[in-house]
Amino acid sequence: MAMTDVSILGEFEQVVLLAILRLGDDAYAVTIRDEILQCTGRDVSRGSIYITLDRLETKGYLKSRLADSTPERGGRAKRYYELRPRALEALKEGRRALVALWRGLESVLT
Amino acid sequence: MTDDQPRVLRLFARFVPGDLREPIAGDLHEEYVRMRPRRGVVRATIWLWWNVARLAITFRWERATHGRSLPPIADELRGFGSMWDGLRQDVVFGARMLRRQPAFTLVALIALMLGIGANTAIFSIVDGVLWRPLPYPESSKVISLGEQRPRENRLHGPVAPADFYDWRRDNSTFSAIAAVEPAAVNISGGAEPERLRGIFVTAGFLDVVGIRPALGRDFTRDEEIEGRHQVVILSDGFWRRRFGADPSIVGSKITLNEHPYDVVGVMPASFWWSTTPAVVLAYMTNAGDGSRAQHSMEVVGRLKPGVSFEQARADLDTIGKRLSEQYPQNNAAHFPHLSTLHASMVGDVKPALLVLLGAVGLVLLIACANVAMLLLARATSREREIAVRLAMGAGRNRLVRQLLTESVLLALIGGVAGVLAAVWSLTAFRALLPPGLLVLPGIAQVGLDTRVLIVALGVSIATGLVFGIIPAFAASGQRLASTLQEEGRSGSGGARSTRTRAVLVVAELALSLVLLVGAGLLLVSFRRVLDVSPGFESQDVVVASVVRSDPAPEALRFYETLLERVRKLPNVEAAALGTPLPFVDVGGRTGFRIEGRTTQSLVPVRARPRLVSADYFSTLRIPLVRGRVFTDRDAEGPPHVVIINSAAARRYWPDDDPLGRRIDVSFAAQPRWMEIVGIIGDVKHLGLELDTDPEAYMPLRQPPFGGMTQRLNVVMRTRAPVSTIAPTVRSAVNQIDRNQPVGTVSAMEDLIAASVAPRRLNVWLVIVFAVIALVLTAAGLYGVMSYLVAQRTREIGVRMALGATRSSVLQLVLRQAGGMAVVGITIGLVGALALTRFLATLLFGITTRDPFVYVSVTVLLGVVALLAAAIPSSRATRVDPMAALRT
Repeated sequence: MAMTDVSILGEFEQVVLLAILRLGDDAYAVTIRDEILQCTGRDVSRGSIYITLDRLETKGYLKSRLADSTPERGGRAKRYYELRPRALEALKEGRRALVALWRGLESVLT
Repeated sequence: MTDDQPRVLRLFARFVPGDLREPIAGDLHEEYVRMRPRRGVVRATIWLWWNVARLAITFRWERATHGRSLPPIADELRGFGSMWDGLRQDVVFGARMLRRQPAFTLVALIALMLGIGANTAIFSIVDGVLWRPLPYPESSKVISLGEQRPRENRLHGPVAPADFYDWRRDNSTFSAIAAVEPAAVNISGGAEPERLRGIFVTAGFLDVVGIRPALGRDFTRDEEIEGRHQVVILSDGFWRRRFGADPSIVGSKITLNEHPYDVVGVMPASFWWSTTPAVVLAYMTNAGDGSRAQHSMEVVGRLKPGVSFEQARADLDTIGKRLSEQYPQNNAAHFPHLSTLHASMVGDVKPALLVLLGAVGLVLLIACANVAMLLLARATSREREIAVRLAMGAGRNRLVRQLLTESVLLALIGGVAGVLAAVWSLTAFRALLPPGLLVLPGIAQVGLDTRVLIVALGVSIATGLVFGIIPAFAASGQRLASTLQEEGRSGSGGARSTRTRAVLVVAELALSLVLLVGAGLLLVSFRRVLDVSPGFESQDVVVASVVRSDPAPEALRFYETLLERVRKLPNVEAAALGTPLPFVDVGGRTGFRIEGRTTQSLVPVRARPRLVSADYFSTLRIPLVRGRVFTDRDAEGPPHVVIINSAAARRYWPDDDPLGRRIDVSFAAQPRWMEIVGIIGDVKHLGLELDTDPEAYMPLRQPPFGGMTQRLNVVMRTRAPVSTIAPTVRSAVNQIDRNQPVGTVSAMEDLIAASVAPRRLNVWLVIVFAVIALVLTAAGLYGVMSYLVAQRTREIGVRMALGATRSSVLQLVLRQAGGMAVVGITIGLVGALALTRFLATLLFGITTRDPFVYVSVTVLLGVVALLAAAIPSSRATRVDPMAALRT
């Protein structure tokens, strides 16, 4: 049941979810993009961040809330994201699958 | 713009789904504010615009491909997305409407195809020839340098060699200057002997055009010197054809004009110089002894980097001024004249091409008016549909958009048909293209490419908007109640719609008249050109040109032997030798001095030298005005004699008798005086419409310049066709010299026809466009009259019931058509008087206000209009009063 309910996440979707997880309370598009750059060195386009966030939210992996506006944002609200339990399940499942696949390959690929 | 609110972010909102808009704009603003102190306002702003644009595109794309994953944009935004959806809906609906009325669609499409097709085809020609750069790197820096002679009314003539050397040595504004002259050489050895077209060029020519040989090297300055000049660069095509693309040809020798030439290079395939010359030869100039009297060189130069055209002109003017002070005898009356090479190559055809572009523009306008009338008629039949839509709450803008989408769709389909028609007509055009026009840049590549297709697309859309806008507003602006009340009655349109139609028909008539007047003026000019006598009897004359490279005595012996044999050929009544020949060779001019006249005269004394055998004048039947023609006694050595034409006699001896006077073309310390023994009639040399220049004919055995005996033409008077005479001439040549090729053998009539071929092509194209315009106009008038008659059926029925006769009904209807015709023709006449002045340079023997043309065109258009109106009018007379009143 759990296996079929959690559809397999795309690689970039996993990256975004992990970044949100790492950021905790401070996860919104700008910090998510910075976090991905910090950890992986990948300079991803803003468009793909927004599209992915929106898609993950539609699929029920994320929930978002609008926070108060600040002057440095020109009086515009900020949208914070946090993981739903479903996303955590999917990440764990993804990790498990990868670790299983990795097992025994260390000598070849490190 | 305040710091807090970059305007672009507000614009951004239009492209992003509602609930994401705020936070994304906020994110961008936050990053922008952070970036500003680090990178500066300018770079931060650029960054912001760039990212806004990227995000906007990303979201539009995302929406188009995964429509569901984003919430729909609020409709009140009227953003791009809702427009796109609406457009798709409009297009689908429009296509359905077009399919439902095939007759309407077909007629409209034919008009559009003619209009857009003609425009596409002519645009591709005009664009290819006039608006594309020459195929050289930085081609705008390539300048043509000519000599201007205001007193002879010549703007850009060929240059004397000595002047060229001085320009080349003394200028400071050109990175390279070179001279070019056309060449015709014979290649022998190996395969068949062959006559080749080529060019002589001085060192530096390849620097001017900016093209390096694909193999081998360029010429050096040394190779301009006699003795070292026997070097040649092959064209790519000739190299492949004759030598099978063998690279080892570079460094070996080939035989040209019986002399060994070193092949030093091969040009790239892209090399072009007014068609592609087979060989590029070193210009043997014997630097230093060049003449200032004989003007034969075409000179081109490349501007140094950073030097402007004006600076170069000032530079050359200074040199020219100095030369005219230094050599007043030759240079007092001429100055350097600069133009871009492109302008000097296309200058002659530019007016004709622009006139064609104007003509097709008029055709397109007429086609637009026609389709607009068709749409109006259709809008009338759709009145109820539109009224219902309005009643259901459709906005007027929405309706106009729907109707405009339909007309643009129609125009686009017409555009596709037009482009296909253009492809076909360009194929025909290339086949009809006279050889004389093949030297134009870009003409060989004329065809449909992206640029032409983009223009065709633009023209189609613009056309759709132009012909759709009036009917769209007319249809959507109707009064609701009245239309809906007219239960089931056939459409009436009302007075305003009738007036719109009348205006469109009047416009068509006026535009047609302008085009017809232009076509008429060009046609009459063409007739006048054909009526010009060439100055000799061109019928039954056949010309064979033979290039001979050996020096004068040997060459003359060959030519005279050949002449003997040709005279004995069957069917040949008379034969002679001559160079340069009318309609065959261009030839140059030479200055000369007149014995006993002061040399300080500033009026340039110049003539075109001709070298002819004794019976040249009798063979061509050129009339002798006074004195005598040459005889066989006019052989080598003194006394030297010369015959001038009437133009020379008129210009240089206006008050006295030239017979017995002596002239000299050598300008040597010891003059070589030639006595004028005869005056002959003027012969048209290069074109029937050109004035005849002064000419000086010299006997064959007394060539004034070395090179003249190297290219002679055999002229024959024969009743046999070219196809039978040509092989006999070739075998006569072969019997004397097996290695001697013969150039073209042509009938003089064909050569004269070829000289007027560009004008003929131009006239026919304009006539074709005028006929299309006339047909479209007639169709338009017919349509409007049919509509008016249908609309007045009841009224006519009443009149007939009250006793009106058929002829009075006919008069009634025709009067309406006649009114439109008179107004249209009057406006057209005014337009023609204003517009035909652009034709002035293309006309010959006729003014732009020729009454004959205006009257006949008016009558023609009037008759066509009458016929177009007659059919619907006669239908009106057959109205059955009872039937009309019952409906």
